[in-house]
Amino acid sequence: MEMVTENKRWAKEYPELGTGPVPAESCISPEYFELERERIFRRTWLNVGRVDAIPNPGDYFVRELAVCKTSILVIRGTDGIVRGFHNVCSHRSNKLVWEETGTCQGAFACHFHSWAYNAQGQLIGVPDEDNFHDLKKSELGLTPVTTDIWEGFIFVHLDSDPQEGLVEYLGGVADQLGGGAFHKRTLTHTYKVEENANWKVALDAQNESYHLPFQHRYSFPGMFVLKDNRYLRLSGVKLYNHHAVWSTTYNSESTPTPSGALMNKFNTATTNSRLPMLGDFDFFVIFPNFVILQFRGIEDDHYMTYNFWPLAVDRCIWEINVHFPPAQNAGQKLSQEYLNHRICDVLQEDAVAHETLQIGLTSRAKTHLMLQDDEIQIRQFHKVMEDYMGFFNGRGQ
Amino acid sequence: MPEQFQNLEPFMGWALAKEGERRAQRLSSTMDEIQVFYDAIFPQMEAAIAYLDQFPLDQLPEEAQQLYYLTLSLVEVTSAVELYHQPHIIEAIEPARFRRVE
Repeated sequence: MEMVTENKRWAKEYPELGTGPVPAESCISPEYFELERERIFRRTWLNVGRVDAIPNPGDYFVRELAVCKTSILVIRGTDGIVRGFHNVCSHRSNKLVWEETGTCQGAFACHFHSWAYNAQGQLIGVPDEDNFHDLKKSELGLTPVTTDIWEGFIFVHLDSDPQEGLVEYLGGVADQLGGGAFHKRTLTHTYKVEENANWKVALDAQNESYHLPFQHRYSFPGMFVLKDNRYLRLSGVKLYNHHAVWSTTYNSESTPTPSGALMNKFNTATTNSRLPMLGDFDFFVIFPNFVILQFRGIEDDHYMTYNFWPLAVDRCIWEINVHFPPAQNAGQKLSQEYLNHRICDVLQEDAVAHETLQIGLTSRAKTHLMLQDDEIQIRQFHKVMEDYMGFFNGRGQ
Repeated sequence: MPEQFQNLEPFMGWALAKEGERRAQRLSSTMDEIQVFYDAIFPQMEAAIAYLDQFPLDQLPEEAQQLYYLTLSLVEVTSAVELYHQPHIIEAIEPARFRRVE
């Protein structure tokens, strides 16, 4: 295993980020949160899911973008094209689709007056249509939301004419992960946790490996502790324009549990297409609230995604999606379930920290975050935030 | 239950199809109950997997299906037995809040 021993190496690589404490007010200020709605979430591409979730014509999901005060319907039309719409009826703006996911059986009917729309968002039926004045159904389809797809990941943009296209926005992340055969892996597990934490507090807590030996001392004892009191430092950090990735190696010194040793034997599902990884574990933060986590496996790799959905200054939903190579038999499936079980224990420990951090920050006993070199990606994230919010030395908008 | 796994019959209460159900079973069981289940099935896991792997995963015969659910419950209790020595994760949010969407 390649060991990183040089101290403070990332600050040398990214000196423009500085080394001072980072203000924490942005995580507790209601005024800041109100500004984030416009300045962050209406100005960036937001991942809302994957094409795998809606493989067949008519398949759809609804995302409640509370932070943008809108509900989005993403649907695969009968023509196979994935489109995003505001989930709002053209008649008097009632919420159209109430189910979180499903398949459109010919048409959606509004619950209020049964105006009907097909899977392409076109208005196809209006009860007692003859009693309306100058109704042009062809102009009264659902309002489209700017939607684009990269490597099967569906993104929306609340601006009808974004300054940057999706691939341009993703920049170096698209270069690194493009062609990554994500589509060969299957969505196996989805979890949603409603948390009493600011979305950035939850994201920041996940966005480093420093906490692993401590916060996860029960779920992975010994996994992140090296001999001779050495720490498992990051093996790589790449900071892109708005985005970032950091990587770690696995600890080859750790001893598996009895079940871990057993299940490793069956961890053989493969797509014959490795993910484009930088380390054994990669954590890509795609600004503002989307994360792709890649895990090196024995025969093949798997990935997870996080979406941190703000609800209020001190509340968010942490959405977790897990994608494995398709399991061909029970042994492969069980080994994946085992790995997922262990990771979910870790995440349930993490969620505690999200909320206790928020409590501490809200007390204002401390005003700043003290970040070490292996937390430079948190420093960068807050700087990108400030750039978008327009508070940082007049830079950004 | 297939012939060679008859000794697992007393544990059919653990033969649950959904992750949420298996989690609820773990959390509502005592550590003694969990340990007895683990001790019964863990030594048979390789044999159980060999048996199950005769069939495509999505076409398991009924007996095999029940055995498969039991092996999934073994996965569910591994960390309780091997790490925490209690049914719950030691320091975690309330389990119901970590909601599996299935």
